[in-house]
Amino acid sequence: MKRILLQDTNGSLKKELRDFHVAFSSYLRDNNLVDKAQVVLVSDIGVYNKGIVAKVLPEGFIYVNLNSANIAEIVDKTVVKGEKIDALSFEKKNKQMRLVLRNCGIVDPESIEEYIAADGYQGLANALAMGPEKVIEEMKKSGLRGRGGAGFPTWMKWNITRGVKGDEKYIICNGDEGDPGAYMDRSVLEGDPHSVIEGLMIGGFAVGAKHGIFYIRAEYPLAVERIQKAIDVCRSKGIIGQNIFGSGFDFDVEIRLGAGAFVCGEETALIASVEGLRGYPRPRPPFPSVKGVWGKPTVINNVETLANIPYILFKGGAEFGKVGTEGSKGTKVFALTGKVKNSGLVEVPMGTTLREIVFDIGGGVLNNHAIKAIQTGGPSGGMIPSQFFDTAVEYESLQKLGSIMGSGGMIVMDEFDCMIDISKFYLGFCVDESCGKCAPCRIGGTQMLAILKKISEGKGEPEDMVKLNQIAQAMQKASLCGLGQTAANPVLSTMKYFEDEYKAHVIDKKCPSCKCPSLVVYSINKERCTGCSLCARNCPVNAISGDRQSKYTVDTAKCIGCANCYEACKFNAIVRQ
Amino acid sequence: MVVETLKDDVKAVIERWKDKEGNLIMILHDIQDRYGYVPREAALEVSRQADMPLARIYEVLTFYNYFKLTPPGKFTISVCLGTACYLKGAPALIEEIRRLLQVDEGHTTKDGLFHLQIVRCLGCCGLAPVITVGHKVYSAVKRTDVMGIIAEHKTVEA
Amino acid sequence: MAMTREELNKLKSAAQSNPPRNWIRVGYSTCGVAAGAKEVLDVLNEEIKAHNMDVIVKKCGCVGLCSAEPLVEVNIEGAPRVFYGKVNKDVARRIVDEHVCQKKLVENHIYEI
Repeated sequence: MKRILLQDTNGSLKKELRDFHVAFSSYLRDNNLVDKAQVVLVSDIGVYNKGIVAKVLPEGFIYVNLNSANIAEIVDKTVVKGEKIDALSFEKKNKQMRLVLRNCGIVDPESIEEYIAADGYQGLANALAMGPEKVIEEMKKSGLRGRGGAGFPTWMKWNITRGVKGDEKYIICNGDEGDPGAYMDRSVLEGDPHSVIEGLMIGGFAVGAKHGIFYIRAEYPLAVERIQKAIDVCRSKGIIGQNIFGSGFDFDVEIRLGAGAFVCGEETALIASVEGLRGYPRPRPPFPSVKGVWGKPTVINNVETLANIPYILFKGGAEFGKVGTEGSKGTKVFALTGKVKNSGLVEVPMGTTLREIVFDIGGGVLNNHAIKAIQTGGPSGGMIPSQFFDTAVEYESLQKLGSIMGSGGMIVMDEFDCMIDISKFYLGFCVDESCGKCAPCRIGGTQMLAILKKISEGKGEPEDMVKLNQIAQAMQKASLCGLGQTAANPVLSTMKYFEDEYKAHVIDKKCPSCKCPSLVVYSINKERCTGCSLCARNCPVNAISGDRQSKYTVDTAKCIGCANCYEACKFNAIVRQ
Repeated sequence: MVVETLKDDVKAVIERWKDKEGNLIMILHDIQDRYGYVPREAALEVSRQADMPLARIYEVLTFYNYFKLTPPGKFTISVCLGTACYLKGAPALIEEIRRLLQVDEGHTTKDGLFHLQIVRCLGCCGLAPVITVGHKVYSAVKRTDVMGIIAEHKTVEA
Repeated sequence: MAMTREELNKLKSAAQSNPPRNWIRVGYSTCGVAAGAKEVLDVLNEEIKAHNMDVIVKKCGCVGLCSAEPLVEVNIEGAPRVFYGKVNKDVARRIVDEHVCQKKLVENHIYEI
């Protein structure tokens, strides 16, 4: 039996689609083929802006831009004979590639048997058989770079720690995913805990560490629970313990919880937190590879980095190195969110363009609004405007645009998102999370935030933009750790690419996106107003008055610009400018 | 607050962690899991039993956002203010909750029923904007939904 | 007590042999649970039991289609393997009734990306 899936995503094609659906079903009925095919409306086929789209199962043919004239041909050729109709076909390229998420959504995270069936712990067994030098050699071949943000080559990090003399060394999994808007680490910890443990053990073996520590946010209780269960079962099966796979390698792991401090994602602050102290960063050198936890040589790898490692040791570094670009190997998982149709986790080979990620995979902007920018790298990253959407995603290319790869947040902003407002949001985050130890970050952030607030309230002056730039540079140069050094990035990148918006706020005292309450004037279009009073009932400050006859008006002196009326009105009668 | 079992509770927690170096944060996590916050009496008890200056304990407690020093309300309303939730209208939700409950973030209503807190990313960005009340998660919340969500918990109480 | 490589490989071949023919997977990460995966899992288990079907219902991690959570993947002989998104208790019942029992796909919830 064939299944004809018809894509019914948004209402725009409703009538045509309904007619097509009815016509298809009746054609099958009229030709006595009802038991040969089932026509099903489905939520998504993943092909957009191509009219009526159908997918035929089990063959998987995708037909696009269909109309009722195609029905007979589809039934005769495809349903009856199983042939493909080339003229209607659309070849959908699968732009995603799952290496990190290879088991997520497939194995039961609480079953070690399923993980082992999916080649689990084979990479570790290979690593133990080949010896630490060769493991590092494989890592070098793979070209894997750290996925936590900075993109430092993993083999180099391991090699440095391996070279430091010391009887006791530590390896830490950094699961303190603090970027608001990125959650791939949580997803991997919850969905495939064993792969992270296996990666950690391989790393421990390579650098000569017998102790592994998972540092995980306390806000991720399910991730903590799954990792704990996975550690326990590994211990009971003899995968974690002594003389692992008969190699003489001993290893043990424990979990330490974060407690809600973004700065603890920074290596030296994380180490302080593991030691039970305030999460203050400290100057480097000495680097953690020399003096880390309890003063012992320590290597810290992020969750996504570690999840790649079992694959590399199982398939070989060269195989992994085939994916990606010259300087950035492998894949990257992005948390695609914001004003995008299909928000979720996507994993793509390095070198995929921003446009492919947002439009081909993400399905484009929500409600078909115009896209304004893509933000990558969270509070340390920057805004990328539409003229650069064909940029291939790599560590260096994003840096050149004033953003960073970061941990992998990718947030889509549309025409209604104000760049000053969003810069204020990110900077506010860094000010909240600044540990207060060094002055450039503590004072600089607060001062920049005050200026941005002033601008968004319409009190900005032209020299404010100069000041923002000066403070930003001071913070970049003089802050102690990565948090302060990068905190100004969202402001700098918006000033660079959206200078007009800043000028509109500062000079014209207007917010082009109608977002900043003080700069938006609300009024009611009397012709559209039906006098239903919904706006008045939704106004928190009683600034709207009137009645059914005389219609409603806004008292601009009382109005706080909350936009409640604008959202409530069903007749588009609220005007804002 | 004085709980009869406080001394024993703290003793059990310290027993569990006593062999681990740098255990203070983990001890405090266990205490907060037990009481919903870290009562001053418990901090004092940790200080006594683990032979640790009280200042050392408060130094950590006040640095990390996760630790609470006052009892939470019967229901904690957490509004996610991650980037996705922010863009999709979380600020309006906070405004609405404040207006309806007359409570500021980080505070508990006078009747002790609701505690309002702002959290940085609950990790369900695909469902934005998200708020949680107790263990219940509400996704794609609109400003107009807030009143119903609060009422739902008020009736449970009544 | 340490495991040897031979034991690992033995475990692997044991785990790979006899894969279940009919199964349903429920995405059971924080986002899925937040969207209602627990109720869905419970209903699926009850219904499969009530219909006395030879189907394994199990939890898995997140596939990444967060906006369509809770997600349920269904693989039943005689019907194509598909993902259902935005599944609630009612849809879960229909999955068992229509997809599992009658081998008919359930309308309006398939995400075939």
